[in-house]
This record gives sequence, C-alpha cells and structure tokens, in this order.
Amino acid sequence: MLKSLKLIELKEAGKKFRNNQILENVNITVDEGDILGIIGRSGSGKTTLLNLIAGFLEPSSGEVLHSFSVTKGPRNLYTDLHKIKDQIGYAPQHNSFYPKLTVMENLLHFGQLYNLPKATLQNNIKGLLQATGLVLHQNKLAEHLSGGMQKRLDIACSLVHKPKIIVLDEPTADLDPALQKDIMNFLAQVNKQGMTVVIASHHLNLLEKFCTKIAIVHQGKVHSSGNMEEIRKPYLKENFTISLTPGGNKEQFISLLKTLPVNKIIDRQHHIIIHPKNITKTITGLLTLIEEENLSYDLDLRRPSLDEIFETITLEK
Amino acid sequence: MKSLWLLTKKNLKLLVRSKTSALVVFFAPLFIILLLGLSYNSTSKYGLNIGVYAPSFSSDVESLISSLQEQEFKIVKYNTAVDDCVKDIKAGVVHACVSVPESLTIDGNQQKEVSFFVDPSKVNLVGVIQDTLNDKFNLKSQQISKELSGNLLTAVSDTKSKLEEQGTQLSSAKEKSAAASTTTLEVSQQLSTLDLTIPTLAYDPQLIVNFKTSVSPKIKSGLADVKDARTAVESSSLEDKSAILSSLSKVEVQLKSLDTLVNGVAVSTNNNTTTNSSNTTVTAASTSFLGALTLLEDELTNTKGKLTAAATAIETTSTGLSSTTQNLQDSVSALEAAQQRVNEMKANLDGQKVTDANVLSAPLVTKIEKVAQEGSYLNYMFPALLVLVVMFSSLLLGTTLVMMEKNSPAFFRNYFLPIKKGTFVVSTYLTTMVITLIQVVIILGVSIIFLKISPLQLLPVAGALLLSSSVFSFMGMGLGYMFKSEETGTLASISTGSLMLFVSGVVLPLETISPAARNIISHFNPFVLSESVIREVFIFNAGFSSVWVELATLAGYAVGLLVVILTAEYLVHKHFISGFMKHRHLKHRQQEKRDKNNV
Repeated sequence: MLKSLKLIELKEAGKKFRNNQILENVNITVDEGDILGIIGRSGSGKTTLLNLIAGFLEPSSGEVLHSFSVTKGPRNLYTDLHKIKDQIGYAPQHNSFYPKLTVMENLLHFGQLYNLPKATLQNNIKGLLQATGLVLHQNKLAEHLSGGMQKRLDIACSLVHKPKIIVLDEPTADLDPALQKDIMNFLAQVNKQGMTVVIASHHLNLLEKFCTKIAIVHQGKVHSSGNMEEIRKPYLKENFTISLTPGGNKEQFISLLKTLPVNKIIDRQHHIIIHPKNITKTITGLLTLIEEENLSYDLDLRRPSLDEIFETITLEK
Repeated sequence: MKSLWLLTKKNLKLLVRSKTSALVVFFAPLFIILLLGLSYNSTSKYGLNIGVYAPSFSSDVESLISSLQEQEFKIVKYNTAVDDCVKDIKAGVVHACVSVPESLTIDGNQQKEVSFFVDPSKVNLVGVIQDTLNDKFNLKSQQISKELSGNLLTAVSDTKSKLEEQGTQLSSAKEKSAAASTTTLEVSQQLSTLDLTIPTLAYDPQLIVNFKTSVSPKIKSGLADVKDARTAVESSSLEDKSAILSSLSKVEVQLKSLDTLVNGVAVSTNNNTTTNSSNTTVTAASTSFLGALTLLEDELTNTKGKLTAAATAIETTSTGLSSTTQNLQDSVSALEAAQQRVNEMKANLDGQKVTDANVLSAPLVTKIEKVAQEGSYLNYMFPALLVLVVMFSSLLLGTTLVMMEKNSPAFFRNYFLPIKKGTFVVSTYLTTMVITLIQVVIILGVSIIFLKISPLQLLPVAGALLLSSSVFSFMGMGLGYMFKSEETGTLASISTGSLMLFVSGVVLPLETISPAARNIISHFNPFVLSESVIREVFIFNAGFSSVWVELATLAGYAVGLLVVILTAEYLVHKHFISGFMKHRHLKHRQQEKRDKNNV
C-alpha cells in the first residue's frame, strides 16, 4: 500500500490569544484522502484547530506545514497560504455566501474569482448543483433557501474550485438528522473523488461512521487522534463499557458496584456505565452480585462508541 | 412605565458599552458643535480679501483703504486695470473688488461713482460683502456729505454774519439818508420861500436906451464942439468971435438937451400902468432920467433885500446841504461797503462748487457689478449642490459598501479567495464611482435642461466631480473600515460630511472663521476644494491652469487615502476577519445553547 501524502501536518502547534492558551502541543497529520473528524466540547478549541489547519491562523508555537506541492516538500502553511488558496476550501460554522445573490450567482461569483476556465467552472457548478440537490433552486436567492439548502450551498461554494482539502466547521449543525446524513453522504462522495475532508462536528455518531480519522480535542489539547480503532484502542480490554439499567434502587446498586474492580462508574440518568479494571473479573463479580442481591437489571456489554469515548475523556478530571 | 425605563436603560447601556457607538452617537455631534462653535464664535469677518482698484492712490483713497483695513479686510491694491482684480475674484484670490475714482474729493455737481465687483455665486458671502462695503462707503459718503454741507453752512454762516454786519451799516446809511431827506425837504421848503420875482419896472427902460442913444452922441457932439471952440479960440483972433460963439451955442444947445434929458424929459411910454401914489413917483421918475435912476435905486434896494434874504436862506440851506452831503457820502460809503460785501458773499457762495442737492446728500454713489453672468440662485448654488450630493453620496456609499462587505456572511470566504486585498478595496471604490457616475450623469443631464448649459461645459465639471467623488469615497471607505456596525459607520459618515459642509463656507461664510482655522479649512477641506474647482469651472469657465492646484490636492488626497486604506487593510484585515469569526462563533454557540435548552 502506497504511503499517503501528508497534506497538512501540525507539529507541537499551539495557539494563544493574548494570555488565553487555546491550543497547545497539537500534533496531527492530515493525509491526502482523509476524512478527519475533529470533536470536542464547546470552547475546546475545535474551530481554532480548524483555522490552523486551514492556514487562517498562524500558530503561536510549533508549526503547521503543508505539502500541497509535492516537489517542494513541507512548507509553512500560514506563510504560503496566499499561494495555495485555490487548494483549500473552507466552510465555516455560519453560512458564507451572499444572501442577496441567487444560488447560481453565488457559485459563479466565487468560481470566477478562482480564475477557473469557463467550461471547467460550468462543469463544476453543474456537478455541485446536482450533488447538492440545488438544481431546482439555482435561480432562487440564497436567503430564500431553507437552512439545509443554505448549508449545502455553502459547502458547494467551498467546493466550486475543487480544492484538495475542504475544511468544514460543524456543517451539520442546526440540521435535522436526515439532512445531517445527506450532508455527510455528500462529503463522503466528495472524498471519494479524492478530496481530503476535515470536519468538526458535535454529531459524533456521524463522524464515527464517515470519518477515517478522529481527533478529540479536550482542554486545549488533542487528547486522541487516529482512526476509530486507534481512538478506541485505549478503551478496549479494560475499557469495555457495561451499561446497566437498574430496576430498583439506583443508589444502592451504585454502592454495590463500587465493591467491584472498576475504574469508573458513571451515573447517567437512566443507566449506569461501568469502566471495568479487568473485564473478566468485573463481569464475573457483577454477575455474582446481581445473583446474590437479586437485582433487577438490563445489561449491555459492548465496545465503547465514539460518543462514549468522548464522554469518558471529557469527564476525566 | 417600568418597562419603558428598563428598555431605555438597556439601550443606553448597549450604546455606552459599544465604544465606537458611544463615541459617534454621543461625542460626534458634540464634537461637531464644539468645532462649529469655536470656528464661528465671532462677529468679525476675518480675512475678506478686498481688491481696491484706483488709477492712483490719493490720500483720501488711502484713508478709505485704512478704514477698510480696520474692518479686518485684507486689501489688495490694483492700479493697472480693474479687470485684473475681477480675474482675481474669479480665481478666488479676492472676494470683491472696489473700483474707486482717483480722488474722492467732490469738486462739482457731479457724484463720484464707486463700483463694487462681487461674485454672486458666493451667495452667502456676497450680501455680507455688499453690506459691509456699502456701510463703509456710505460712511465715507456721509463724511464727504458732511464736509460739503459744512462748507456750505460755513459760507452761509459767513454770509449771514456779513449781512448782519451790513445790516447795521445799512441802518446807519438809512438813517443818514433819512436825515438827508429831511434836510433836503427843509432846504426845499426854505428855497420855496425865497422871493426871486423880478420887480415890476416903474421906469421906462426905453428912457435909458434913449439916454444911451441920445446922450452919447450929444456928449460926443458937445465934446467935439468944445474942441472946435478951443481950436477956434486958439487959432483966431478975437475977430472971429462969431465962430466961437456959434460953437459955444451949439455946445449949450447940446448940453441943454442933455440936461433936459437928464432932468426932465418926459417919456410917455408905459405911464398908463401907474395907478397909485407910488406911481406918481414912478411917473415923475419916468419923466426923467434921474427919476428913473431913483426908481432903479429903489428896485435895487428891494432886490438887494430879496437877495440878502436869499443869501441868508442859501447860507442856511448850504449848512443843511453840507450835512446832507456828508450823510449822503456816508450812505454812499456804506452802500459801497455793502456792495463790496455782497460781492464777497457772492464770490463766497460762488466758491461753493457743490450746489446740487443730490450730490450734497450722496456725494458717492455705489454701483454693484457682478463678475459672473446673472443667474438664479440655483446657478450660483449649483456647484455647492453638486459637491454636496457627490460628497454625501460617495461618503455613504463608501461606508455602506465596506460595511456590507465586512458584515456580509461571505466576508470570511473572501479571505480564502486567491485575490489581493487591494482588489477588494479598488472594487469597492469602482462601485462607488459607477454609482456616482450615474448620479452625476443624471444630475448634469437634468441641469442641461434646466440651467441651459452646454454639455461641453459640463465635461470638465463631471471630471472634477468624479475626482471629488474619489476622495469622498475613500473617506467613506476609511470610516467603514473604522467602525463595526453599519449604523455607526453611517452616522460617522453623515457626521463627517456634515462637519465638512458646515466648515465649507456654504452654510456659514468661512470668512467668519479665524484666519488660521480658515487657512487650514480652505486648503484641506476636500469639500471646499471640490466646490472651489466646480465653481470656477462651472461659473467662470476656468481652465485647467486656474484649478490645477485644487485638482492636484484632491488627487493627492485620493491617492493618500487609498494608500492609507490599503495599508490599514493589509495590517488589520486579519483582525477584522478574526473578529468576524469570533462574533459568528459566539453567535453560533449561543444558538447552540438555546437549542439545547429548548430540547
């Protein structure tokens, strides 16, 4: 298997705004063809990380390198940005188009500013309109589109020049689940055409499903990064999740669970999550306990989901 | 009521917490008022440049100039031609010209004409200049009028005192003449009493004639006989006695005849006129020569008495007449003196050259000539209106376009477009220029119809307007980059435009501002520069050579502002986008929280 090209590489990158350290010691690699999902709590520094990846922000420490030009080797992304703007597409959190222009006018406007040949641009627009389902709305003013269509138009505007990488900041926010899935499918489709996708979202299940890589940002640091297996790996073996739905007294149940070899007991409103120290011993002990105490329960033993891993990470002190 | 107060309090807090809004909303109007107050807090008309043309600057013209200088007018002298001064009005070097005659001295019944040349296009200033100059010249006219009236009154007063003086003398002469008249009357009366009638002849004058005619020959004859007798006696002897005796007899006869004649020869003529006793004497006298002599003697006595009386009367009259003569001589002297005085008075009055009441009341007449073609106020205000429209339009367009771009959702995306930052600035500028061009074309097109101007005349006006528009557009754009919200930026633009308008001289004359401030404003206020160029081109058809300094300054402004905007854009564009992103990010987070809470 050919080693994929490191399109963007963050090395010990950090960002500080005045005295506020937003990010520090970030080491991430965005390889060509990746769909990199960035997750984190609000204010964790996701958008700042995206801005570093897009070259919009200059790191306060470390460096962000790009390799859009293979022959020249890794170069500073921030200083080179003006030369490689046509290689990057950025769809920020908010819609970023002219509401008073029609769909077609917006696409033409941004496409023409990338100095694309007319035919190429027409093809790109045609393809994007079809892919985003905006063909029937191409002559509508952008402000008259629904929220989902506006988001699709925004992504289309970011893709009209066919960049090598597209950076999306919460593209599925404020959308209903069906639209979220549509968007992700569209991005997956785009990725299949060779475009690298970097996406930040709170919809972890979607990211888990579509992303080839995940980076979990927590408290200004990239806590974990890699593909799902790599993310999950530290949480396997001792970190299977046992989800219990106690039938009787939950407090009594939790106090009994504490006698078992567990790392952590997470009290959710309707169920309890147990992070065992040793999955075999913990489960044996749990089953014994349930039998001895005659507890009513609903037990679910599974690998941790991204959502759970994220929650585990973010709830860690 | 409570909610109203809460809302008001909230609004105030929001305004104050947004520093730029607070700055603009609260302090911009105050700042404008402060500037205007400081600028116009004067009743003086500073630095009105008045050109004075005179063929030569005599002392009274210089005196007039001094009085104008006391009014803070700066005087520029012209002595070659008034047209030079008029040209300088058009060029804005002087505000008005005054053409004065060589001398303001009035030396005849001819009013002196002073011409004011004013630029009617400076609508708010022309009145002030006219009024001020009129005041000055009216004052001068009054001064001259006062002098002339003084001279006239002095002459009248002199005449009056001389007349009073003459009145005394004439009274004296009158008294003396009256005295002479009285004396003359008395003399006349005295002379009328004199009896100078010829006495009635009581003797026969023929007697005396006869006596004369008879006596003389007889005496001669007697004497001749005597002589003959003597001769006979001497030559003869006694023998010839008869001859002697004959001669003597003849003498005797002669002598007897004479005796008769003397002593009693009756003369019968005129004896029928004697009737009384005296007539007896006369008759007696008339019969003899002796008697005649007696009568004659009586008559002579009588005549002597009359003559004596006459002499006495004449002596008396002579005294009176001497007095009269003296009186009359005095009167003549007095009248001669009076005549001389009258001549002097006449000469004095004749010396008053100004006798025309019009000249006396208004020795100086002022004439106002307009250096521009007579037109309506619209014509005069047209350049200012054009610049006003272009200024506000360009300022607001510049600000609005920049604000639109800054606040546009697409602002962030533009950062990732492979376009230089300057391109956005220039495109904004071009947009304002396109819109301004359309406005200018419409306004000038309409003005061709209403003001009946040649389209060719408007081409340079359009060019100057577009240059002005460039300056204002860049200013507006600069304000757009400085402020965050569109409302604040718009307010700042309006405030800036208003400030430039208020200190432009269109609303209030610049000439009431202190010279230092006015110098800065007139050289650096783009509105003033633009209005000056348009006015000179539009009203006076000035060529490029007349307005190149203003055009170069405007071009310098445009280039300078462009450079500043580009530099600022280069330096702070990233900051804008970061701010924009931060703002959007926060909004997004807030929305997210709201959504979560709703769920």
